[in-house]
Formats: sequence, structure tokens, C-alpha cells
Amino acid sequence: MDPVKITIDGKEVTTTKGKTVIQAAAEAGVTIPHYCYHSKLSIAGNCRMCLVEIEKMPKLQIACNTQVAEGMGVLTQSPKVLAVRKAVLEFLLINHPVDCPICDQAGECQLQNYYMEHNREASRFEVGKQHDRKKTIFGPNVIFDGERCIKCTRCVRFCQEITKTDELTVINRGDHSTIALFDDSVLDNPLSANVVDICPVGALTDRDFRFKVRVWYLQKTPSVCPGCSTGCNISVETYQNRIARFKPRINEAVNSHWICDEGRYCFHELTGGERLTTPLIRQEGGLVPATWKHALQAVLAGLRSAKAAAGMMSGRSTNEEAFLFAKLMKKLTPGSPLEVCYQERELTETQKILMSPDRAPNFRGARDMGVCANGGYESLLQKLLAGDFSAGYIVGEDLLEANGADVTRRAALQKLSFLVVQDIRLSETAKLAHVVLPATHFGEKEGTYTNRKGRVQKLNAAVIAPEGALQDWQIFLRLLDSAGEKLSYSTPSQILQALAEEVALYQGISYATIGDQGIQLGGGGVEQS
Amino acid sequence: MEKLLLRNIGVTDSHTLAVYQSRGGYQSWEKVVRNMKPAELIEEVKASGLRGRGGAGFPTGMKWSFVPKDSPKPKYLVCNADESEPGTFKDRLLIEQDPHAILEGTLIAAYGIQSHTAFIYIRGELVAGAKILERTVEEACRAGYIGKNIFGSGYDLDVIVHRGAGAYICGEETALLSSLEGGRGWPKVKPPFPATHGLFGCPTVVNNVETLAALPWIIERGAAAYAAMGTEKSKGTKLFSVSGHITRPGVYELEMGYPFKKFLEEDCGGVANGRKLKGVIPGGGSMPVLRPDELEKVNLDYESVQAAGSMLGSGGVIVMDDTTCMVRAASNIARFYAHESCGQCSPCREGCHWMEKIFHRIENGEGQASDLDLILNISGNIMGNTICPFGDAAAMPAAAFIRKFRAEFEAHIAEKRCTVRTQ
Repeated sequence: MDPVKITIDGKEVTTTKGKTVIQAAAEAGVTIPHYCYHSKLSIAGNCRMCLVEIEKMPKLQIACNTQVAEGMGVLTQSPKVLAVRKAVLEFLLINHPVDCPICDQAGECQLQNYYMEHNREASRFEVGKQHDRKKTIFGPNVIFDGERCIKCTRCVRFCQEITKTDELTVINRGDHSTIALFDDSVLDNPLSANVVDICPVGALTDRDFRFKVRVWYLQKTPSVCPGCSTGCNISVETYQNRIARFKPRINEAVNSHWICDEGRYCFHELTGGERLTTPLIRQEGGLVPATWKHALQAVLAGLRSAKAAAGMMSGRSTNEEAFLFAKLMKKLTPGSPLEVCYQERELTETQKILMSPDRAPNFRGARDMGVCANGGYESLLQKLLAGDFSAGYIVGEDLLEANGADVTRRAALQKLSFLVVQDIRLSETAKLAHVVLPATHFGEKEGTYTNRKGRVQKLNAAVIAPEGALQDWQIFLRLLDSAGEKLSYSTPSQILQALAEEVALYQGISYATIGDQGIQLGGGGVEQS
Repeated sequence: MEKLLLRNIGVTDSHTLAVYQSRGGYQSWEKVVRNMKPAELIEEVKASGLRGRGGAGFPTGMKWSFVPKDSPKPKYLVCNADESEPGTFKDRLLIEQDPHAILEGTLIAAYGIQSHTAFIYIRGELVAGAKILERTVEEACRAGYIGKNIFGSGYDLDVIVHRGAGAYICGEETALLSSLEGGRGWPKVKPPFPATHGLFGCPTVVNNVETLAALPWIIERGAAAYAAMGTEKSKGTKLFSVSGHITRPGVYELEMGYPFKKFLEEDCGGVANGRKLKGVIPGGGSMPVLRPDELEKVNLDYESVQAAGSMLGSGGVIVMDDTTCMVRAASNIARFYAHESCGQCSPCREGCHWMEKIFHRIENGEGQASDLDLILNISGNIMGNTICPFGDAAAMPAAAFIRKFRAEFEAHIAEKRCTVRTQ
């Protein structure tokens, strides 16, 4: 790592040998405008937006492909550079439909942003635009508008270099050049929608998100993907208290710039459907609405009188919730086995780039909190089917839909003399419960998740839970309080503080140490399954 | 003047091995393999002053010397037979009538950089040429000039003839390599340069047909004999393809530095039908046009033509007489570049078509007074800002036609019709 001194706009910058001018400038806080350059993809050098002046070189050079050299003087704001930016922007827009009002990219479009910054002139092009294909479906999640495309080839390179699935290519020549699928191919790889994120313009848009919201109305909340235990960092983007989309948040220790399609769209399944807004108690003839007070009393009474109870918790529960759940069950039914609902599936090589085999983003953290029994989840499930328990407390998971083996499971759950289900919807499992408690989903709660590799990351509430539902941790706190366990904490951050004191592995973990990029437990990266 | 490059042209069956051998063919190759070390060969070529005849005029020996000697990767020599520059047909003549000279030059160059696989990349449309070259390689193989352990020296060399698919851009050396690799004919971003990262990422030299065809003579007669011809910086001889309104069109071999005007008037017999010269493009369609008044002191060598504001390029001389509508000529050239732009980088992809559309509008009598400055501005915005020299090749002639014949363009716009052809 030999240090190299260069100047950028007269300011001396020390960088390292092998870096390109665009990288060195970025390190120094100077963003050189660009379209085709992407730090995770190979250099294409085709957009020409990053042309800069290098002292003593007669021609402008592209910053993305020019390596730094000792004493190099880089000018990013000289008259020549400003003129060429203006020219490149004009070229990129002559055949562009400029249909910003109906373009999903509007508001986060680099054509709009750079044009405002570097050109601002009316068009001099009046000789007939070259037309291209509109609304061309590339795959289940991605749609292409050829007229908005600037042929930066980021999408092509993503499919060649990141997923290695090679669905896309450039066809035709000159201003007829356009992006297309190879014959018989579909852009359906497990990471396909990332091409929408890296498309700097409105050429590739998200079929799920398009035409739903103007992006400037979105509220963005940094969080963690609830899709699996990889723990990809995301931005949960909401509009009118509904989740509109997930976008990846860069975290080089976890997901780099990407998220998988399954994670990207999992919020539909995890948040959709009719919400429970009142607790339900089983009476003659079925489940009837009840007050929280009555429902919680029924839970306490039912669990206390149970001979043997089992607790099953969703892998989407936070560490704080798992910590309280373990505390509660220990208090009410000491010795009851608790487990995190966990199942694995086979993954393809491309899926393995980001996806974990489970759909339990916090299975590791919940087990760290004591929601953990000898033999694991499968064994606990077998015992339940064998009729070893008279009571059960199921948090956030529908056992009857998660797996097709409904008949025996349904019978086993029906045999329980007392079943509590805490969930956001009246699931198939909840329909069999004696008490149903309306709870909240990942997008409504604050807390922490510990990913498969032991990285603790923060979940933030992006939307407000419906009136009548309670946060899972609030339910547990109330139950603990009613059971006589007087706890001094009443917020997730206070619960985290308490668990950090009680769970040795989490010593020193706090919102401050987690930050927005998470923190590795024990400073190591040991994988646990 | 003694002919070097055209010495076998016109001889019956000059394309056959027997005739080529009877005229001294492959003796240079044998001499190189038996008696010369690669480094000596490179020095000899450097000393000859030979420069790339594809258009850029880069010193050939120096190009070879950039190939790393210690690379563990295979090295490749590629003969660029993708001749497509408008007004240029010199390589085609050599391919069809003296293919063994090209092959012998290819072998010599391959030896110089110690390549064991050489490619001849031939333009897709030259179907007959490709067949001839394939037969040429076959004959040379059978004669033992190509293959394993050539002349018992231990040196192995294979030659593969590869047909392009007919894109002009594939004459640009990095686009040629992309095409040869099986990809789109897209120029590569430089650096790295082909000498270190060329074909399949390996050290590669791409030389033009005419450049390679000069090598057997240089080896036979020595670098000094070659360097004795031409000017101080432009050595040897060069082929010129003359077309357009000229009495005797064809391919001519001239010593570098030959007076341009004398060449047109005496060697080529002057403008056809006794008409007046209006303009001449000296180096293929991508070079700026020259007016008759600019020709007075121009000699046909790299430096002199450049001093006159154009470039020697490929030596494709296009002659236009006073009946030529310069608007139409410019429009025609612009259409070619718009059609051939590979579309990879923004200024060329968008700019070439934009210029073409404006030229077309002017020609059709729908031009506006501001169009001329607009084209000059667009061409300026393309110049120097593209991945490969194609952008310049499209921008230079467009700007030159307007600058040098502005009054004619203005009249065409004002009258909304051609003011030349209707006289």
C-alpha cells in the first residue's frame, strides 16, 4: 500500500497506489459525477461523465479508469471539465423521452440531478428522437424502458459479474443500441431486482413498486431485512404508514450493496392481510373479543395451571422480545422447553451469494436469549406432536401454514388444553388458540437482531402498529408485571441494557455500539446454525 | 521508383505460393528464423522507421517492443485485414494479389514478439479475400513455413484466418480484439493497452496488412535501404487508394514525401473530364477535406499532411470535382459514421446520429442558419471525449466540410436546395 500524493482541485490528497482518480476523489470527499462507474462492478468507461482534466495531459481522462500517480494534478471543476459534463448530459438526453412526470425514477434520477447541477439549458435537439422499446418485461420483478436507457451497462455487468447468470446483453449498434435479454432467458435470478437499484436512470424499474408512490413522499427508516438470518441492511421506505419498498443499505460486512429478491419483497407476506386489533378469548362457540386485561389474566391462569408447557417463538422476534419471553416462561412454567421456529431449505449457488437457508432472521439471537431447548426446534415439534405438552405459547409463527403437514399438527394443537397465540393476524394456528394476543410485525418494532454470523444489528420502527395491537415486548412486560415480576425497564433500549448485563455474550452491546452498521459478537465471525 | 509493396502485383498467379517463391518469397522468413534473435529483429524494424499503415502511423518496432518479454501468458500477433475506411482499398489489393507477402510479414512479426499463434482478422465482406488467405495459409503450412519446429529452429507458429462480421469499428484494434474473442465489436477502455492486455487478456500486437507486407522487403534489403526512402520522419513507401473524380483511379505506391499536387495531376492524370478540383480527402473518410488552395505545398507524408490540417491516415485519397455538392458529400460521410458508431460511449453514440440528422435536414432544404454552428459545436463535444478514435473520425470530417465550404452550406440553407449540382 504505497502512499501516493496527488492534488484534487489544488487540494493535496494522500491516497494509495493502484487507486483510480474517482476512488481517490471519493475518499477525499469529492464526488466526480458518473453513471457507468460502480464501485462493485468492472470499469466500463462508456458514459464519459467522469471526464476530468489531468495536468500535463492533452486530453481529458475518465476518472474511473485513470490510476493515480505521484504528483498528479486533477482538476474536477475546470472550464474544460464543466463544458464536457454539460456536453455529455446533452448527448444522454437527446433521445431520452424526458417523461419525468410518469417515471418512477423521478426524484432519485441521476439524469435529473446532474442536469440540474451541470447543464440547465433547453434542448437544442429538434431532429426527431430515436425510439426504442417501452415497458419491456425482463423478469418477474424488473421492467425495462429502452428510451430512458443511457446504455451504462451496469445491469449487464451485474448479471455477468455478481450473479454470474448472464441474462442481459447489449444488442444493435449506434443509437439503436439497447439492452436485451439473451434468447430464452428471463431476468429471474435471486438478486435480479438489484439492477433496478443500480440503474442510474429510469430505464429499469421495479414491477412491484412502480406507479405506487412518488419517491419524495417516502419516509426512509434504516433497518434489517426480516427475510432470513443473513441480516442484510435495508432501508424500509414507507408512505402513509405502509411499507412501499425495501432498498439495500450498504454494509460491506454483511450485504455489500445488495439484497435478494425474496428479502426485498417479503414485507408483503409479513405485513399483509387483515390485522388483529383486539385480543380474543375462546368461549363456547368460538373466539370472542376481550379486553387486554382479561386476555392477559387468562394467559397467566392458563399457563400457571398447565402441567407441561412448550414455548415456540418466531425467528423474527427481536432479542429484547426473546429475552422477556424466556424470563416470562421461566416465571410461569419453570422448566418449559422454548425454541425458535427454524427450518432450512436447499439453496442454489446464486441464492447462496446472499441468502441463508432459513427464514428466521433472529434465530441465533433468540437462542442466545434462552429461547433454546435441547434437541432444537424439530425435536420440540416432535414432542408436541407426541402429546408431551398440555399447553403452548406460540409467538409470531403460524405452525399450520409454515409446513404442509397440517393434519397431525392440527390434531396435536387441538389436543392442548391451553394454547396462547400471539400474532398480527388470525392465523390458522391462532384459530385453534384459547387466547389470541394481537401483536406487531418487524416493521413496527424497535429492537435488535443477531444475524447468522453473530452480528447484532438494529431494527427500527418504520410504521405505526394499528390501534389495539401491542408490541410483543409490551405484552411480555405486562404479563411479567401481572405475574409479580417488577421490572424497572419499559423501552426496548432499556431491555437491551438489561439483557446486555444478564447475557454474558452481549456484554457491552448498546444502541451506541451497534450504530447503523451493527457490531460483531465477541469480535469474531463464527458461524452457528 | 522501385516498387516494394506492389512488386508482385500484376504478375500472373501472383497469389500462388509457387509464383511468390519464384520471386524470392519466404527467403526473409527463413533468414529471420535461422539467423535473427527476436531482439535483433525488433531493432532492425525500429531502424527501418516503418510506421503503422492502418492510419495512426505509430512506429512498428516500438509497438513490438512494448510486449513484455517475461510474461507467462501466450502472446498474439494479429494482422488487421479489416480494411473498411471509406475510400481505402489498398489492403484488399494485397490480400487478393499478394497474400503470401502479407503472410510472410505476419510470420516475421509473430517471431519478433515470440508469438506462437497469429490471427489474420479479415473484413466480413471480403469473401474472396478470406478464401485466398485461407488457401495461402494452407500452402505455407504444407511448405513448412508455418507449423511445428519451423526450419528446424524449434520455433512453432500457427496462423488462423478469422472473418469479421462486417463492422467498420472492428478495424479499430481493441474492437477487433473484442470481436476476435467472440464478443461484441466494442473498443476496450485503455489503459491497459493491447501490448500487455490484448487478446484474451494476453500481450498482443495488431499490425495492418500494409505494415506487415513491408516486412519481407525490409528484411531482404535491410533497414537502411528502407530508411533511405521517404522523409526524415516518414520512411519508406506507402500505398494510396485514389478514387472519385480522377482520371486514373487505383492503388499507387509512392515514396513518402511525394508532392500531393504532382501526384494527382501527373501520376493520376488530374481531375476527370478536365474539370476543376474542388476538394480532396487525403487519408480516408475520417480525415478532414482539403481545398485546392491548401494542396500547394503538401507532400504525402505524415508530417506534411498534418501541417496542412488533415492527416495521411490510410492513404485513401477521395477526389471531388467542382460538380460535387459538399453538403451532400458531408451528409454522406456523416451517414456512414452514424451507421457505424458502435454505440458504446455516449458522445459518439448520440452525437454521430445527431450530426447526421442535421446534415440530412440541410441537404433536404430544411436547414436553419444556426445548424452549422450547432454541428461544429457537436463535433467539438465529441472530439477527444470518446473511448476510441472513432469519435474523432466522425467529428473531424464534419467540422472540416463546414469550415472549408461554409459559403456553400449557407447558400444551400438559404436557397433550400443545392446550389452546385443545379448550375
